[in-house]
Amino acid sequence: MQNGLKLLTMLILSFLCLCLAACIGSVAVPVSQVIKIVANRLLGLPLSENISALNATVVWNLRMARACLAFLAGAALAASGTVMQSVLRNPLASSYTMGVSSGASLGAAIIIISGFSLPILGRFTLPAAGLLAGLLTVFLAVSLAAKVDKGFSGNTIILTGMVFSLFVNALLTLIAYFFQSHTRNILLWQMGTFALKDWSYVYLLFPIVMIGLILLLYHSRELDLLTFGEEQAAVMGVETTKVKWRLLSVAAALTGSAVAFCGVIGFIDLIAPHVVRRWCGASHRWVVPVSALFGGCFMVLADMVARTIISPSELPVGAITALIGAPFFAYIYFKRRK
Amino acid sequence: MLQLNHLNCGYDTEDVIRDVSLQIEAGKIVCLFGPNGCGKTTLLKAIAGLLPYRGTIRFAGVEVAKMKRRDLAANIALMSQVSDTYFDYSVYDTVLLGRYLYGSKGFFPHTSKADEEIVRQCLEEVDLWQVKDQPITELSGGQLQRVFLARTFVQEPRLILLDEPTNHLDLKYQLELIERLRTWCQRPGRAVIGVLHDLNLALQFADQAVLLQAGSVALDGEAKEVLQNPMVTEVFGIDIKSYMQKSLLKWQ
Repeated sequence: MQNGLKLLTMLILSFLCLCLAACIGSVAVPVSQVIKIVANRLLGLPLSENISALNATVVWNLRMARACLAFLAGAALAASGTVMQSVLRNPLASSYTMGVSSGASLGAAIIIISGFSLPILGRFTLPAAGLLAGLLTVFLAVSLAAKVDKGFSGNTIILTGMVFSLFVNALLTLIAYFFQSHTRNILLWQMGTFALKDWSYVYLLFPIVMIGLILLLYHSRELDLLTFGEEQAAVMGVETTKVKWRLLSVAAALTGSAVAFCGVIGFIDLIAPHVVRRWCGASHRWVVPVSALFGGCFMVLADMVARTIISPSELPVGAITALIGAPFFAYIYFKRRK
Repeated sequence: MLQLNHLNCGYDTEDVIRDVSLQIEAGKIVCLFGPNGCGKTTLLKAIAGLLPYRGTIRFAGVEVAKMKRRDLAANIALMSQVSDTYFDYSVYDTVLLGRYLYGSKGFFPHTSKADEEIVRQCLEEVDLWQVKDQPITELSGGQLQRVFLARTFVQEPRLILLDEPTNHLDLKYQLELIERLRTWCQRPGRAVIGVLHDLNLALQFADQAVLLQAGSVALDGEAKEVLQNPMVTEVFGIDIKSYMQKSLLKWQ
């Protein structure tokens, strides 16, 4: 199958996943009704009389908003993982290695214990603090790497990222120890969930993810060249330091916003690029968009399982991504190697 | 074509290359040789603009440190020693990356007919056209080296720097590579600098030889004269000429 066709297949699958997520819940809604509700909200087509107003509200305002947010977060994490693995030339690298999640958790923890809220941001103070703290951690880690290693090598960046990540985690542990009454809230935030998230979250995350993906696609050839190492990319004409800074910033912003809005959800950024590279080859022109769509679908399905398997309670979605992801990844990866 | 004057460079604060001055004329194949750790790779990296330096490196009269990356890549290509490959790029896509500097920037970089033609030609010349769709992670060391050689040629530079280009190649491909470099050099305004450990090859094909010792130029001149200079024996610590002659006697 040509890569263009694979991308189209993933687009169709993405739409189907979103519809499926909107069908399944405490009240099952048939797919045909979901499609009509989506058409009504997006295209203004009239609703059939057999669709109740309650079903339309549940499907659109609750389930579809939640599924779209999960899709965007999955897409952001997967695209960011692709970039981190390629730029740092390490198949296990991710934005989490660079300290995004620990930084974001520290930012969120400070807001949780202080109860501080900016009137202009309101309920978005918590995600904004998480995003800022996550980005600041990565910025400090990458700046230190650039200072200690003029060659700006991937290994140095990973090491400084891990140093910052561990340091920030230690601060987080101290906060959890000294403010035990808030520990449960901090832990719940870290676990990650899409519950109680409405369209306003989607409207905020959508432009960030789209701009991020566009920037990554623009640099797809530089990403290809960087996988062969900084020196080889440089001798073929890439301004490596400038391009690496740009790509790492975009990847950190993508992960940072996903974490800030939805909590720390692991594994997708690791597996999506690997699975997609097995399917589409290594060229980033295809790996970036297909990984994003794959990550989006995977997150929607994981969230669907998380909210339905012990309904009306919910499981942490991060646990589900790892529980489904680990054996799936092992199957895909080792089947090909064999 | 290439002029190095009082060049000093290295890593962090320590100089590996010390006060090197060299002149390379167009049309020449230059063999850079010397014992391990004498600074051969560092010198190539400095010429390719990968290391900060003191002194001057002028290519066609322009200081290398002042050239933009794309301009530098259009003039000087460096094939490093074969490195690890992590991702499954096809042989064709890997070689096509050598055309990066000629491509348009943007979301859907265009591959021109000229790009496709030069990639096909170079892959045929290194005998890899029949495996062009194979992932590079499944190739042998020698095949991978030929892929990177093809990528160096599709870059269409004026000066090619080769760091031990023959170390994974069998004898047939070693000779073919050297012949190809000789033909490539015949076009005006081109030159090759290669790190070679096989002094037989160097003696047969190089025009100029440069012996490095502890980061400085110990000998520089016509290949035959340099390679037969007694100082080579002194620098390497073995009598190279008599070793070669003994080997030859065994063949007879």
